[in-house]
Amino acid sequence: MRRQLRSRRAPASPYAYRYRLDDQDEVNQNYLADEEEEAEEEARVMVVPDLEEEEEEEEEEEEEEIEEEEKEEEKGQGQPAGNAWWQRWQIVSEYLWDPEKRMSLARTGLILVIYFFFYASLAAVITLCMYTLFLTISPYMPTFTERVKPPGVMIRPFAHSLNFNFNVSEPDTWQHYVISLNGFLQGYNDSLQEEMNVDCPPGQYFIQDGDEDEDKKACQFKRSFLKNCSGLEDPTFGYSTGQPCILLKMNRIVGFRPELGDPVKVSCKVQRGDENDIRSINYYPESASFDLRYYPYYGKLTHVNYTSPLVAMHFTDVVKNQAVPVQCQLKGKGIINDVINDRFVGRVIFTLNIET
Amino acid sequence: MGRGAGREYSPAATTAENGGGKKKQKEKELDELKKEVAMDDHKLSLDELGRKYQVDLSKGLTNQRAQDILARDGPNALTPPPTTPEWVKFCRQLFGGFSILLWIGAILCFLAYGIQAAMEDEPSNDNLYLGVVLAAVVIVTGCFSYYQEAKSSKIMDSFKNMVPQQALVVREGEKMQINAEEVVVGDLVEVKGGDRVPADLRIISSHGCKVDNSSLTGESEPQTRSPEFTHENPLETRNICFFSTNCVEGTARGIVIATGDRTVMGRIATLASGLEVGRTPIAMEIEHFIQLITGVAVFLGVSFFVLSLILGYSWLEAVIFLIGIIVANVPEGLLATVTVCLTLTAKRMARKNCLVKNLEAVETLGSTSTICSDKTGTLTQNRMTVAHMWFDNQIHEADTTEDQSGATFDKRSPTWTALSRIAGLCNRAVFKAGQENISVSKRDTAGDASESALLKCIELSCGSVRKMRDRNPKVAEIPFNSTNKYQLSIHEREDSPQSHVLVMKGAPERILDRCSTILMQGKEIPLDKEMQDAFQNAYMELGGLGERVLGFCQLNLPSGKFPRGFKFDTDELNFPTEKLCFVGLMSMIDPPRAAVPDAVGKCRSAGIKVIMVTGDHPITAKAIAKGVGIISEGNETVEDIAARLNIPVSQVNPREAKACVVHGSDLKDMTAEQLDEILKNHTEIVFARTSPQQKLIIVEGCQRLGAIVAVTGDGVNDSPALKKADIGIAMGITGSDVSKQAANMILLDDNFASIVTGVEEGRLIFDNLKKSIAYTLTSNIPEITPFLLFIIANIPLPLGTITILCIDLGTDMVPAISLAYESAESDIMKRAPRNPRSDNLVNHRLIGMAYGQIGMIQALAGFFTYFVILAENGFKPSDLLGIRLNWEDRFFNDLEDSYGQQWTYEQRKVLEFTCHTAFFVSIVIAQWADLIICKTRHNSVFQQGMKNKILIFGIMEETFLAAFLSYTPGMDTALRMYPLKLSWWFCATPYSILIFVYDEIRKLIIRRHPGGWLERETYY
Repeated sequence: MRRQLRSRRAPASPYAYRYRLDDQDEVNQNYLADEEEEAEEEARVMVVPDLEEEEEEEEEEEEEEIEEEEKEEEKGQGQPAGNAWWQRWQIVSEYLWDPEKRMSLARTGLILVIYFFFYASLAAVITLCMYTLFLTISPYMPTFTERVKPPGVMIRPFAHSLNFNFNVSEPDTWQHYVISLNGFLQGYNDSLQEEMNVDCPPGQYFIQDGDEDEDKKACQFKRSFLKNCSGLEDPTFGYSTGQPCILLKMNRIVGFRPELGDPVKVSCKVQRGDENDIRSINYYPESASFDLRYYPYYGKLTHVNYTSPLVAMHFTDVVKNQAVPVQCQLKGKGIINDVINDRFVGRVIFTLNIET
Repeated sequence: MGRGAGREYSPAATTAENGGGKKKQKEKELDELKKEVAMDDHKLSLDELGRKYQVDLSKGLTNQRAQDILARDGPNALTPPPTTPEWVKFCRQLFGGFSILLWIGAILCFLAYGIQAAMEDEPSNDNLYLGVVLAAVVIVTGCFSYYQEAKSSKIMDSFKNMVPQQALVVREGEKMQINAEEVVVGDLVEVKGGDRVPADLRIISSHGCKVDNSSLTGESEPQTRSPEFTHENPLETRNICFFSTNCVEGTARGIVIATGDRTVMGRIATLASGLEVGRTPIAMEIEHFIQLITGVAVFLGVSFFVLSLILGYSWLEAVIFLIGIIVANVPEGLLATVTVCLTLTAKRMARKNCLVKNLEAVETLGSTSTICSDKTGTLTQNRMTVAHMWFDNQIHEADTTEDQSGATFDKRSPTWTALSRIAGLCNRAVFKAGQENISVSKRDTAGDASESALLKCIELSCGSVRKMRDRNPKVAEIPFNSTNKYQLSIHEREDSPQSHVLVMKGAPERILDRCSTILMQGKEIPLDKEMQDAFQNAYMELGGLGERVLGFCQLNLPSGKFPRGFKFDTDELNFPTEKLCFVGLMSMIDPPRAAVPDAVGKCRSAGIKVIMVTGDHPITAKAIAKGVGIISEGNETVEDIAARLNIPVSQVNPREAKACVVHGSDLKDMTAEQLDEILKNHTEIVFARTSPQQKLIIVEGCQRLGAIVAVTGDGVNDSPALKKADIGIAMGITGSDVSKQAANMILLDDNFASIVTGVEEGRLIFDNLKKSIAYTLTSNIPEITPFLLFIIANIPLPLGTITILCIDLGTDMVPAISLAYESAESDIMKRAPRNPRSDNLVNHRLIGMAYGQIGMIQALAGFFTYFVILAENGFKPSDLLGIRLNWEDRFFNDLEDSYGQQWTYEQRKVLEFTCHTAFFVSIVIAQWADLIICKTRHNSVFQQGMKNKILIFGIMEETFLAAFLSYTPGMDTALRMYPLKLSWWFCATPYSILIFVYDEIRKLIIRRHPGGWLERETYY
């Protein structure tokens, strides 16, 4: 009872005497000043000799423990890096083969099976979608053609470059053009054209009504139409004389029809520089145009033997030993030849550099 | 650990140590705390003191000498922790965490561009653009988060008291006010009530001086300071005042013995700034995430590198593919998304009074599993308040709530009138002037904490105390001193014109000893044994509540013997001080804040362990712990069990007790294992009488057990622990600057309950970040697969770099951020904190879902649109295989399609870019569904609802942005995006529906079979 009276704030509690250890332990700091009024009073009451001895023993023990602890720590410090790897390896090996459950890769196996089915059903879905896609598009006529219009232009010979550099006196420099042109014109051989295609009336469309899936006939375009550039009389297409032939064709577009009565014409001139660098060009066919009978095109599937009409440009008098930029344009109603981004729509630009 | 090492070091050994490794440095700093024990100024006599500091104890230093010392020691101010220069902070934002990934991506891009530029005549600029964009993204996000942090540190700066502190020093015999920074060692300083102590002082004379050391020790009670040397420990001796503590009342003169960083306070501050700070959990999560992403990227890159070599590509092409694939795996927008999400949450938290100093700390509170809370000021109001009264043999409860909403007691008893008169008259505390408009409980007072408490109590219940004192003028007084342990005063009685009343208060047992009667219902009855027992019980009960109890008694002095004008002599005691009439007891406590018990309860149900760590007395600590629920009702400590069963403490199995009160001195003798044992085996722990170093040990102990620890505190003594904790929470109003600097978060209203809000927000943002990342990562697959098919199947490229960037940095951004606004799916405060080891932000399940499942469906949606467009324009899928070389040849201007049409290079490129646009739009449409399924991880969307307006805005925004990019004239030249036909928008819708249905079914199965296989494999 007396003790309870003594303290205002520490009534009967088994802890009460232990708090006072602070006061006796002078080695260790105690930041927390006890209530000043109590301090002296309690110190008086709290002198318990046994406790002091006990405490000393405890401290000794503790110091030993600390030393041990530190030793262990030192040992431990060398290992962590190795441990991490070891643990990782264990995780991986358990993943592959779990000795407790005696399952290997079972989890992985199952998930693989599930993913297999998942992807299989996805494959089924995309197949179904593609199938419906093919149902909706016609095999004869593309759904949209506006991206491929207006028609582009391409020239032959084609050698992955639009610079025609050759030396007249060195056949090696132009031989490949000749081979290319020859190869290209194989399909235009008169015999082949006469055998496969029909001779249809010029100056008008060659319209073939009838079912979409009916095979369409094609109009003849004979190699001989190209006269001096046909390679029949001059097998070197003029390259050996420094008067090169260049063939120009317009890209095929299904259903494309030039304006009636106004066939698309080709005209070439020097693109930049002196106009007189090219003094004369011969066009074959002489009209320098694509006849209307070659239009419209009905598509690859039915219009099997369609041969694109050509216009040959025979550069008979070009300034030699200098690069001459040439621009050949299509001219006609509905033809666009001045798209800035696309230098192959309705026109083609190439350079001739004929050395002697 | 630190403690063990610290004990080994003697101060001498420490001083001999000069650097040598970080660990040693840290130990040395930890040891700084010890060194103040070596201080011996408090043991010196005044003469020795004067000699030591070469100062005249009455005249002070000479001005010249003060100047010299100032020049030698520098100003008397705490060195602010080495502030990282702004550019370092900026660089940290630029190169930390996630940014590294993007930087590597950017460098790889430039590398690829370099290779291409060296190899080709006309290299495509894609890689260059990509590199520039990546770098720009990092720089912009870096600037953004730097700006955010700068803003919160500005708020921090506003806390600092801009008014320079003044100090009154005596130099050359003259008193002068100088700036506290100019105070030097040896200066003679005067402090008075209300001042802040300008430096560590050795008191040479004092008049009733009391100081509040709570910012140093955490103890809220003011302590007397006098010139006598009372304790070996400089912290406990009465003749030392510490820098930056407050003088509450009285005056004192002292010699400055330490200034600036050499003060005790300075040492603790240095200790705090010397601690290494661990990385935040979210930083670790992001690192883990980067590892996963990098793993996937490198795996894909290398396998396709090998594959492309097998397919016959050249080495250089293969290297460019490798780089391309790795870069394509970088989620460019994610860094910005995460930053914005964290910022939004930080702002939301700031609105709820949690100011976050560091963005990454936003989430930390959410993963917190242990809160070590300081008591004073955080859990309690830091204001002594009368809690209970005992009179008429009955304990009455006073209202301790902050807003005076609590219950009141019956005030009609005449005993209460007497008690209130004594408490009001025998009381030297007064309200400071000019506070008439402030509610009584919030007014500032001058005087002792317990007297202030009484003053407020009486003011509240009986009206103005000042008027009461005017009506009963004081004629004599004996102030409190520690030998008497009482305080008495004699007043003229207002109710009787001739007589006086003697009122006395003091330690209850001392008061009772002086009493022979007791007042019961206004009547004096003899104080018999029965009444004494009743008193004893009441005293014990109140004491057991941790309250400070005062006893009150009075005596009506007979008017015959002591008429008006009688000279009461307080030294000779010519009036009776025995045989008084006992009136009652009043007990005071620093009461818990109203919101705290609820908040503690919420923390507990959220699986967070709340540990109280205080410098205060164990009994008080335990009482408060019980009051706020840190020790919950029905839980007993070992001592409680022992007391109940009436057996010695040693016989109780400690495992039986869930609660535990650990005393600082016990903690001091514990090994780390013993501490772990305590932390593991007890759920409800109170640490009392702890030192700053011990707080640190406790935090380290919790962290050792794998907990993520939040520490709250306001005092300088808390700052090392605040720094060491995973998240340190300082108090905005009462907190010291040092603690605010050490903390990651600041509670602007000092309310523990705000922490709960923080936890809730932190957990929510973690969940929502998961969703956000799942959403963002999903679009990675439809972005990578086109490139892979481009390499393997040689088809025209279905999706270009620009469109990828449009997705990552354009359409995906707002929806991903909108997920941060998503409300919680279930009560997030009812589940356990996440396990930082197993519950990762991004795990293989999330990657599996995003990449393996939803991403694949999205990729199909994109490819289907791509095939539709090409087929409708003439290129059927079967003809596309292997077309790449011709397709990419600039001089091949008559490429034939499936219908025999011939395309120029530019025409087919326009078609290809149209496909890119369409693929992009398809991803946007598929991302609609993805966004909706990412709203929830467990619930159905139909349960969750579509209440998130930002999310709906996000869907609209991405759609409009996609339409804008596609249809705006000029986009064809600017970004090479082309207008789409309306039908192409719908190609992806079946896949969008498929994603939604698939995920709803998955979540349905997860809900039906909790813990089932599907949940284990796909619940992220």
